[in-house]
Amino acid sequence: MSATTTTPKENVFSGVLKRLSGNLQTYALVVAMVVIWGMFDVLTSGSYLSPQNFSNLFRQMTVSALLSVGMVLVIVTGNIDLSVGRLAGFVSVFVAYLQLRTWNALFPGQPLTAAILSVIAGCAIGTLYGVVQGWIIAYQRVPSFIVTLGSMWILNGLILIQTEGKTLAANQNYFEFIGQGYLPDWLGWVFAILVVAALFVSMFLSRRRRVKYGFSLAPILTDLLKTGFFSLLVFGYIFYVNLYRGLQFPVLILIVFAVVVAYMADNTKFGRHAYAIGGNREAARLSGINIQRNIFLIFILMGFLCGVAGIVLASYVGYGTIAAGTGYELYAIAGCILGGTSTLGGVGTIFGAMVGSLIMASVTNGLQILNVPSAWQYVVNGLVLVVAVYMDVYFKKR
Amino acid sequence: MNDAILEFRNVTKRFAGITALNDVSFSIKRGEIHGICGENGAGKSTLVKILSGVYPWGTYEGQVIYNGRELKLGAGSIQEAVKEGIAIVYQELTLVPTIDVGMNIFLGKEPVEFGVINWDKLYSETDQLLAKYHLDVPSHEVVKHLGVGKMQMTEIAKALSEDAKVLILDEPTSALAEHEIKQLMDILRGLKKHGVTCIYISHKLEEFAQITDSVTVLRDGKEVITRPTKELNIEALVRNMVGREMKERFPVGHRKPGEVILEVENLHAENPDDPGTEVLKGVSFNLRKGEILGIAGLMGSGRTELVMTLFGEFGKITAGKVKLEGREITVKSSRDAMRQGISLVPEDRKRHGLVLIQSILRNISLANLDRFASFFRINDSAELRESMDFAKSLAIKAPNLNAPADSLSGGNQQKVVISKWLMSKPKVLIMDDPTRGIDVGTKFEIYKIMNDLSEQGIAIIMISSDLVEVLGMSDRILIMHEDQSVCTLDIKDASQEKIMALATGTEPNFESERSKK
Repeated sequence: MSATTTTPKENVFSGVLKRLSGNLQTYALVVAMVVIWGMFDVLTSGSYLSPQNFSNLFRQMTVSALLSVGMVLVIVTGNIDLSVGRLAGFVSVFVAYLQLRTWNALFPGQPLTAAILSVIAGCAIGTLYGVVQGWIIAYQRVPSFIVTLGSMWILNGLILIQTEGKTLAANQNYFEFIGQGYLPDWLGWVFAILVVAALFVSMFLSRRRRVKYGFSLAPILTDLLKTGFFSLLVFGYIFYVNLYRGLQFPVLILIVFAVVVAYMADNTKFGRHAYAIGGNREAARLSGINIQRNIFLIFILMGFLCGVAGIVLASYVGYGTIAAGTGYELYAIAGCILGGTSTLGGVGTIFGAMVGSLIMASVTNGLQILNVPSAWQYVVNGLVLVVAVYMDVYFKKR
Repeated sequence: MNDAILEFRNVTKRFAGITALNDVSFSIKRGEIHGICGENGAGKSTLVKILSGVYPWGTYEGQVIYNGRELKLGAGSIQEAVKEGIAIVYQELTLVPTIDVGMNIFLGKEPVEFGVINWDKLYSETDQLLAKYHLDVPSHEVVKHLGVGKMQMTEIAKALSEDAKVLILDEPTSALAEHEIKQLMDILRGLKKHGVTCIYISHKLEEFAQITDSVTVLRDGKEVITRPTKELNIEALVRNMVGREMKERFPVGHRKPGEVILEVENLHAENPDDPGTEVLKGVSFNLRKGEILGIAGLMGSGRTELVMTLFGEFGKITAGKVKLEGREITVKSSRDAMRQGISLVPEDRKRHGLVLIQSILRNISLANLDRFASFFRINDSAELRESMDFAKSLAIKAPNLNAPADSLSGGNQQKVVISKWLMSKPKVLIMDDPTRGIDVGTKFEIYKIMNDLSEQGIAIIMISSDLVEVLGMSDRILIMHEDQSVCTLDIKDASQEKIMALATGTEPNFESERSKK
């Protein structure tokens, strides 16, 4: 029927506009980050963006960013996980205990075996906790807010029990590398080349698929430029961190998990279903989606990522303490929200959360360099979060 | 002597492309109970929304005279109507379920002394109010513990506490049991003695004879007749409600129903959230390949409950059988249903059909990701290709498939929902009120799609509140009344009067046919 047909010209135009405005928030975020970096660099007369601090900045964000990778999906399905900080903390003291006591007794003088076993044990314990918590939330239908709030206390207690209030050293050989290691320069370059190769291969594969299914292709130049731009970023990053000590191993871990989960979010049934559940639970249910299983799996993934984050945390600080991971859940949630994840569910990207986490870390790091008292750091962090979301709400209204 | 409290003078209300009310004029006498009836979409709710200020003065043409002067309700203030003394008891109740009756009645106007609520005064005034109108509700009871009937009484009390002169009841009996209806009737008669004018909107025609003093019939946005009730009978009402020609509202189909694909035998089901309450009390029918089976029945007759039960998402089957292609099946969830080849286009597309914030593409593929997904990857090109093919064949009008679903018009949204369910390649497609809230042109397109599908051999079950649609599109019609199937009529034996009579249970002539089944 012709009554509702609009002219094609309008359609193309409005389509382009829509897509632009859809990504506007992400761009705005990247711009905001660059502005923050510039500002701190000026204030610290250049030491903020020095290779050393730049390298540290990324290392500092690793633990909370790992948590926010999982947190995005948790929030997207309309849930929340308040226990992630304490769970990562518990895992960190747990592996520290294993490093210090258990492995020494079982495999004396074998630090590599010990480190590998610690990683396996840490991931397992985090995953196991996720299984229990996810089962209660998904299948027993206890609200996630309450379950994970309870978990905060439970884990707090477990941390005290595990450590007996003492600090456990976790700076043994090999294990130390996880949170503090750097790849040699040449390995960094190998990594960069592999990533860039993967980018180009996936670009060409995607073009071939489009042809196979009869779609018209974007001009090859546009695609090349886009992929080339990202390749340049990758090379640039490796070049810059190589000026200090090389690619940071914890950052490499973060990149791997962020990419894998981001890929899952977009390209697997598991991810697609999560977004549909958050967008409209009823419609998702009537579309044959197993809501309980999906939410269960997401909490297991979250638990696993807490395990990874806990291992990195123990290695990064070099010991397990009773305060480990305190407040990290708030950084993880704030990173997601800053990165455009909607508290109402259904909306949010891993990439956004990574940028959000980086902004939080950048602000904290900058204030530390400026020797701002930690009391004021909290105040600024809070303001950054609220002002950023306020601006988002304000501009969306117009 | 004509003491009219309300008078509509040439009221016309237009929406983009649709005229909901067309030059409507009639008046309502002071102190009477005035019935308004008409099919869905006849303009009843538009009329109510004008009186309640949802459509304020100036957004419609013509005049509404209230108490001798023109009613001019401001934009965005529904409170103004209440202040004028016009109150509405809505179909879906609007009480706060977790607080008690007295607090609900005085919500927003609590008697306050020095910033503190005077609870004694609140409850004593509540009790006086309830006693005055013989409303038998305990003022301290929490609303969610009340039955539907008492909730409605609370709602009426709340309206009367505003000193209402005109009380509008929008389908007040649709959720009530028989004895509650009787109570309501008594209350309304009591209100009449206190000089309150009532506007009574209902689908249940027999109620008009019991309670109203005069009746207005609306059809297609026009007022057909306004008469004292005693001059009318049900046949006359039905004739006036449906007397419409059916030329070219429906595309010509070439359907050739084949063998039986779905058989339902004496199906009983209970509400899973409220065990013991039967929601289906004996439904039997069969469905053939390439056929459109219409289900006609009033709201609350168990139509939606029936299809949701078949789809595995509502009732718990307590007795009876469902057979698909001769094999007995049990469907426990929508996943099960889809695996068996049953799909459902739900009644409320925004709430149950679409993820509005997501793109058209994501919505179409949502229920069918298995077709494109391996464990590691969704083949997004195949997904896009197939979705585009559906979007094209159903003529979804959108700039591209990445546009969010909520940017589309209702008709196009419905096409997205239909695409989604067609992609799952169903054998049986259930459509619950598929053209609700859709403009005439798009309706025609959806009818054409339905014809195409059934010509391809898909069996379609269509629920509709629009009798004309049921008659225009169905090969056979299943009639539901009070959670039971009454009978299945062949299209050549069906007429609007007959269906209406069977669906309201008012026509004794068909008793023989009912027992035959």
